[in-house]
Order: sequence, then structure tokens, then C-alpha cells
Amino acid sequence: MSSPVLSLAGIEKVFPNGVRGLSPVDLTVEKGDFVTLIGPSGCGKSTLLKLIANLHTPSGGKMSWWGGNFGDVGRKGRRMAFVFQDATLMPWATIAKNVRLPLDLEKVDRATADKRALAALERVGLGHVTEHYPAQLSGGMKMRVSIARALVTEPDLLLMDEPFGALDEFTRNRLDEEMARLCYEDGLTTLFVTHALHEAAFLSSRVMVMAARPGRIHAQYEIDRSILRNEEFRLSDQFAGISRELAILLEDASRESMIQQEMRA
Amino acid sequence: MMSSRTFSLLAPVTLGIIILGIWEGICRFWHIPPYLMPSPSAIWRALMLDGVALLHALLITLEITFAALIAAVVGGVLVAFLLVQSPLIERCLMPYVVIMQVTPIVAIAPLIIILIHNTPLALTACAALVAIFPVISNTLQGLRSVDPDLAAYFQMHKASRLQTLSRLRIPSALPMFMAGLRIATGLSLVGAIVAEFVAGTGGNSAGLAYQILQSGFQMDIPRMFAALFLITVAGLVLYAAAASLQRFALRHRS
Repeated sequence: MSSPVLSLAGIEKVFPNGVRGLSPVDLTVEKGDFVTLIGPSGCGKSTLLKLIANLHTPSGGKMSWWGGNFGDVGRKGRRMAFVFQDATLMPWATIAKNVRLPLDLEKVDRATADKRALAALERVGLGHVTEHYPAQLSGGMKMRVSIARALVTEPDLLLMDEPFGALDEFTRNRLDEEMARLCYEDGLTTLFVTHALHEAAFLSSRVMVMAARPGRIHAQYEIDRSILRNEEFRLSDQFAGISRELAILLEDASRESMIQQEMRA
Repeated sequence: MMSSRTFSLLAPVTLGIIILGIWEGICRFWHIPPYLMPSPSAIWRALMLDGVALLHALLITLEITFAALIAAVVGGVLVAFLLVQSPLIERCLMPYVVIMQVTPIVAIAPLIIILIHNTPLALTACAALVAIFPVISNTLQGLRSVDPDLAAYFQMHKASRLQTLSRLRIPSALPMFMAGLRIATGLSLVGAIVAEFVAGTGGNSAGLAYQILQSGFQMDIPRMFAALFLITVAGLVLYAAAASLQRFALRHRS
């Protein structure tokens, strides 16, 4: 059997000011998973994602990417892409140049890079705005560009940190459907951070419910991956049932986070 | 209905014409002698009479202004890049940059003019010294105003130092740099004029400041006003040029 995409064993994070951001976390992500981290603020879900992206270093524990260390990430078959809460585009560059950035950094030749950037933009339905600038686009379109910039590297693992938090409900639902298509039809392994319950219920094949103070995984919830995640599913009783069960788990996690806080106070 | 752009141009021009009219009227009605307060028409006559000499002087002043601006931009950007390299360098150098800024140029100018024998060069140095501070401080702040998420993105994609500089830091610094450049453009002219005043150089290579001084000695007040008028026009043109350059460089960003 091949190594999991991501394997975390006893990963913890203590910040320089002594605050325990994350108590030992174990997490395994297999190829094709859509894992969502959800929890009250301060539960360390974004910290966990940044540890995985190697933007923070853990204080303890063992972490491996495709069975190897971070140095090998970026090679073929081990590519990682990150989508931030904001689109995080370069305002001085055209949409095409923004999407091309990761390829330019890898010194992929211009013609190939342009072709791949256009293909990535077409996948998110934005093939017609290549020569526009970010300021000319709406929030939802900018977020799509940000996703295209992630897709252009043909990632094997996509990390998303509350990517649609700043968008209106309607735009968010459309993008969630696009994400579901990318993951369940194209097989893109995704690790998704959100604080929106309905988003987690809609997208995930597995939800990790986290609790705060210190950040930890409180519960795990599996969702049938064969469900067709479309508008119909959103209106179904099945979706309502999943949302309700997740709500109970989340309520639990929040309550426990509060108790911990009171005990300390 | 008038467009707001036309209106914002027409309103101050109308006010200017009214004020000039009142000024002219007062001068004529009370027969105010031109050595106390020349009328606009007298200033205009002085400008026509001495226009060639004054324009020649203006050209000399502008030469110094541009040379100083280029020196300030090149020097300021270099210093900013040096300062941003390490906190140690910044801590060592920054106090001197501030000292340079808070010392009035009028006080240092005589020293510079004695030290540098070549007068145009000395004047350029004075003006550049006035203009360099906004370039340094704005470029420095610009180089630091990188979006932290975008910086993390570059780090994640294992961008080299050079890639991060050319693709992230420099473009991120551009808005602040352009604002600094606009301020520096105005200050170069101010610095050039102040330095000329201090140097008091006459003869063939005399700038507009000397023309003002000389007109003052000769009690030729209309000519003094004419020179002042030219300086103002030059300042306005420089400001407008810098502002349009700024708009052009940042045209895609908002």
C-alpha cells in the first residue's frame, strides 16, 4: 500500500509566548479525501493548516508528506497548493500573470505556462478575463482566480484556509459546488478549513471537529463520498441530517472549549 | 449640467481672475506705486520685457532641480535597499538619516558651498539633500508593506531571494515610492531655490533665486513678482507631471 498523502502523529504547537495552540494532533489524509477542519475560533485549525504548509514549525510530533519530508514536496506527484482566506493576488499583475506565478517561480517556459494558466482559468470559468487586473474583478471572481492559481500547478494536495469566508452566501454555494466537482470528479485531495457548518456538511468526505484551549481534535465524522454534491443534495433531508449531527458535535466542542476556559479562570 | 471635472477646473480659475481684477483695481484706484505693490498688469509687462533673461534663469534652476531629483531618487532608493537588508544596518544608519532630515538646509548650505567648489554641483547637492528623505522613508516603508500572505505564498513555493525581490518586494513598494517621488519633486525645486539664495551666485549661470535677489536690490518689484510667478508655474507643472506619473504607474491597482 502506498503512503498516505499526509500523516501527522502527535503534532503540537506551543507559541513563543507560552500559549499552547495545539495539543498533540493525529491526522491521516488519504488520496482523494476531502477533509474539513471545523471548530470554534482559537481551536487551532488555521495553525494546523499552516503547519502542514510548512509556514510554521511544530513544537513536537512527527509529520510526513507522501511518506517523506517537506524537502521533497513540490516534485511531481507531491505538489501542494494553498488558497488563503483572501484571494491574495498581486494587484499589479494581470489575471493571467497571477495564475502563472507558481509556474514562473519554477521557471517553466513562457509558452507552456501561458497555456496552462489559461486552462486553469477555464476550469474555474474565467477564461475570458486573462488580461484584466484584480481590481476589475468581483470578490467571487478573485477567489476563483486564486483557486486557478492553485490548480495550475496540478496539485496533489490542496490546502484551503477559510477560502470563501468573505463571500456572500450565493457565491459561496456556487464555489462550493465547483470545489466538490474538482475533488470528487477529478480526484483532488483537499484539506479545507472553515467555520461554516453547512459548507463542511456539503463538501467533506470527513469532518474533523476541533475544540479550543488547547486546540485539539474533538470528534471525527465521516460522510458518504458517493453522494452527488449538487444543489439537490443541499436541499435534501440527508443534508439536513448531516448538518444536524455536525451541529451537535460542534456544540459539544464549543461547550468543552468554554469549560476548559472557565476551569483555568 | 457641467461635469465635475470641468467645474473643479473652472471654479478656481474664476476665483483667480476675480482676485486679479480686484488687485488691479485697488492698485489703479489708489495709485499704489509699483515698488510697494505692483499691479498684475505691471508684473505682466515686466515678464514680457525681461522674459528671455528670466526664462534662461528658470532653465538653470530647473537643471539643478532635475539633477537633484535624479540624485535623490537613485541615492534614496539605494539607501532604502541597504536599510532593509538587516535590522542592524537600519539601527546604525537610521539616526543619521533623521539627523540629515531635521537639520535645516539653509544651515548646511554655506558649508556645502564652501566644500564643493563647483557651484552647480554644490547647489545640486543641497537640493538633493532636501529631496532625499521622503524617497528613503517611503521606499523603506514600501519595501516593508508586502502582503504577509503573499510573502508566505512565495515562501511556500520556494522562491529565491531575487525572485521575491523582483516579483514581490519591488512591485509592492511602488505605490509608496511613487508618493515619495511626488513629494521629492516639489522639494527638489524648493531645495534648488534655497541653495541659490544662499550661494547668491551671479553672472551667466544665475538661477531664478538670484534674479529675485537682484530685483530686490534694484527695487524692481514687478520683476521680482514675475520671477516668483515663473517659479510657481514651474512648481505646478512639476507637481502635475509627478502626479500623472504616479497615476500612470499605479493605473491598474484601484
